[in-house]
Amino acid sequence: MTTAGSQITSPAQLEVPLVAPPAGGRRRSLKLTPGRIAVYAALTVLAIIVLYPMLWLFLSTFKPSSEFGQNQGLLPESPTIDNYLKVIEGIGGIPLWRFFSNSLLLAVAAVVGTLFSSSLAAYAFARIRFKGAGIFFAAMIGTLLLPFHVIILPQYIMFQRLDLVDTFWPLIIPKFLATEAFFVFLMVQFIRNIPRDMDEAARIDGAGHLRIFMSIILPLIKPALITSAIFTFIWTWNDFLGPLIYLTSPENYPLPIALRLYNDQTSTSDYGATIAISFVALLPVLLFFLVFQRFLVDGVATQGLKG
Amino acid sequence: MFTTRKRRAGIVLAATVSAAVALTGCSGGGSPEPGATFDPEAEVTLDFAFWGNDVRADLYNEALAAFNEEYPNITVNVSFLGFPEFWEARQVEAAGGNLPDVMQFDYSYLRQYSENGLLLPLDDYLGGIIDTEGFEQNILDIGVVNDQTTAIPAGTNAWGMYTNPQLAEESGAPLYEGGGSWEDYNDYLIEASAAASANGVYGGADWTGRIQNFELHKRAQGENLFTDEGEPNFTQEEVAEFFALGDEIRSEGGSVPGQQLEEIYPLSAFDSARAVTELTWDNFGAGYLGNLGEGYTELGLVAPPTAEEGSQDLYLKPSMLHAISAGTDHPEAAATLVDFLVNAPETAEAFGTNRGLPASQTQLDALSLEGLDAQIQEYEDSIADRLGDAPPVPVVGYGAIEEEWRQIGLELGLGTLTPEEGAERFFTEMEVVLNS
Repeated sequence: MTTAGSQITSPAQLEVPLVAPPAGGRRRSLKLTPGRIAVYAALTVLAIIVLYPMLWLFLSTFKPSSEFGQNQGLLPESPTIDNYLKVIEGIGGIPLWRFFSNSLLLAVAAVVGTLFSSSLAAYAFARIRFKGAGIFFAAMIGTLLLPFHVIILPQYIMFQRLDLVDTFWPLIIPKFLATEAFFVFLMVQFIRNIPRDMDEAARIDGAGHLRIFMSIILPLIKPALITSAIFTFIWTWNDFLGPLIYLTSPENYPLPIALRLYNDQTSTSDYGATIAISFVALLPVLLFFLVFQRFLVDGVATQGLKG
Repeated sequence: MFTTRKRRAGIVLAATVSAAVALTGCSGGGSPEPGATFDPEAEVTLDFAFWGNDVRADLYNEALAAFNEEYPNITVNVSFLGFPEFWEARQVEAAGGNLPDVMQFDYSYLRQYSENGLLLPLDDYLGGIIDTEGFEQNILDIGVVNDQTTAIPAGTNAWGMYTNPQLAEESGAPLYEGGGSWEDYNDYLIEASAAASANGVYGGADWTGRIQNFELHKRAQGENLFTDEGEPNFTQEEVAEFFALGDEIRSEGGSVPGQQLEEIYPLSAFDSARAVTELTWDNFGAGYLGNLGEGYTELGLVAPPTAEEGSQDLYLKPSMLHAISAGTDHPEAAATLVDFLVNAPETAEAFGTNRGLPASQTQLDALSLEGLDAQIQEYEDSIADRLGDAPPVPVVGYGAIEEEWRQIGLELGLGTLTPEEGAERFFTEMEVVLNS
C-alpha cells in the first residue's frame, strides 16, 4: 500500500499527460541515434530505481514470515505461497473477498457520488448567477483549508446521533453532497473555459439548465470527470481514517484496515501475510489507473477539436 | 514517509480529541445499586472491542463461544484493530460519548480515561458479579485511579532478559547467566560481541535506549519514574549520566550497530538473530520465536542486571486490563462479561499466555503450562524477591515519551547525539507531551 500510495497519488504524475501530450513524434521514424540510446539507458535505470520497491514487495510475498528479520534481500530463501493461502482464508472467520467487496463498494459509491454531485455544483458555480454565489464559492474553497481532523469530531457526533455508525452511509453520503471541494473547483475551471456561446445556442433552441448540463457541459468536461474519478477511486480505496472511525464490525472493514490486522506489535506479527495482502490490495488500483489513464489522455487529445 | 505522516496525523488527532474528551467526559453513568446482580433472562447486546491480530481474534471467538454457552441471552458484538488504530478509534468514540460497553484496556491510557469519567467505577461489582477470589490485592490495585477501581487486570508481565542459547552456540558467543550488575552486563556485551561479530552476531542491543532500564535504575534507588501526581521524578543530568553508561559498549562495538537496528525496525535485533540477549517484557517470547522462525526452538529467560543488589527494582505490570464504558446501558451484563474474561477457566484455556500470565489465580490454575509459558511462570516466581509495588498509573502520553526515548537511543547508537544532547532533547520533547 505504501509504495502504491507514493506512486500514484501525486497530482503531478497525472498532470503530465495534460500539459505535455505526446508531441507530434508519432509518425517520425525511431532511429537509434547515440543520444537516443543514452536517453533510454538513463530512463531504464530510473525506472528500475522507481520499480525496485514494488519488485521487493512482490517477491517478499513469497517469504515465510520468519525470514523478514534475517533476510532483507530481494529473493526469498525458502519461497512459499502460504502467505497467499492464509490471506485468502481471511481474518477471524471473515474471508478476504468480504474486505475486498467492502472496499469496492465504498470506492465505486464514492466515484459515482463525487462525479454526480461535484459536476452539478460546478455547473451552478460556473454558469448560474445566484445570490451569494461569490460567498458560497469562497466558503467552498475555504473547506479545502480545513484539516480532516478538525471536522471529524462534529461529523462523527452527527452520524452517531443519526444512528448511522457502523454502516457505510457516513462514508458515502458526504460524497453525494459535493463535499470534495477540490473536484468542484477543478470542474468549475473546466466549465469556465467552455465558450458560453454553446450554452446560448442551446438556450435559443429551448434547452433549460438541466438539458444544457446533460447535453452540452457533461460531454465537454469528460477529462475533468475522468481525473476526478481516478483520484476519488484511489483516495477512497486507500482511505484509512474514515473507515477506522465509522466502521466497528470487522465484517464491514475495507482492505486498508484489514491488512493491518495481521500486525500486532504487542504480541506476534505476521509480516508475510501483511505483505501478501498489501500486494493483493494494490492490484485493483493499478488496474483502474491503467484502464482510465488511457481515457484521460484521449480526453485531452480530443479536446482540441471542440474549437 | 507514509508511516511518519500517518503517525503525525495520529498524534494531531489524539491531541485534538483528548481536549474534546476532557470537555465531554463528565457524562458518567449512574452508580449501580450495591450488590447489583445480573438478570440472566434479559436479552442484552454488548459491544466489545480489543486490539490484537488475527490469532487473538480467533482466541476471543473461542472464549466468547464458551461465554455464550453460559449466558445465551447476551449477544457480544466484537470489534478489533491493531494497537495504535484501536486507540485512535476509541479517542473519537470517547468524544462522541459512544465507547463500546466492554474494552480490552491498556495501562498507559487508564489514567486519562478514568480521570475524564469515561470508565465505569467497578468497586460495587467487586466481590459480587466480578469475583475477586483469585486476585492478590496488589494486582487489583493496579486498576485503581484516584481511589476508584476502573479496570481489572487480565494478565501480567515483568521486565526480563531473553537469551538465545542456540545462536550463542552457533556464533561462538558466551551466554549471559542473568542478574549481576550493569557493569557485568557491559563487560559481557563487549566480550560476546568480540567473539561473535565476525558472524554478524552481537551480545545485545544498547540497553540505555530503553526507558524501562532507566526505570530499573530509579527503582533500585527506591524511586519511581513519575510521582503520584504525574510529575517527572528525575533530572536532565540523571538522564545524561544514564545514557553515558552505554558509552563503553557503543565505542567498543559491544552492541548491535544503530544502522542495522534502523534497517530491521519494527523487528528487533533479537527477532532477527543478530543479538544473543535482549531486555524486554517477559511475554514477548512467543513473538520472538515466531519471528526467529523454525530454526530456533527454545529461548532462555533470566533476570535483568540490577543497579542495587537486594532492591525491589522489578514489578508486575498489567499486560492488559478490562474496563467498562461509563455510558453503558447494561452495566450488569458488561460486568458479567468482564468477570468471565478475567476469571473463567474456559477463557484461560483459550488464551494460554497470549494475554500475559493470567492475573487471576483461578485462571492460572486452569492452565497446564509448558515450554515457554512454563518458563515465564518460573521466571516470575524466581524474581519474587525483586518484585516491588507497581509504580503509579502511567502519566498521560507515556507511550509517546517511551517512543521518544527509543528514538534517542537509536541516535546515540548512530553517533548523531551525545548523551548530554540526548538528555536535553528528551526533556524538551517530554515537556511538550506532558503539557499538551
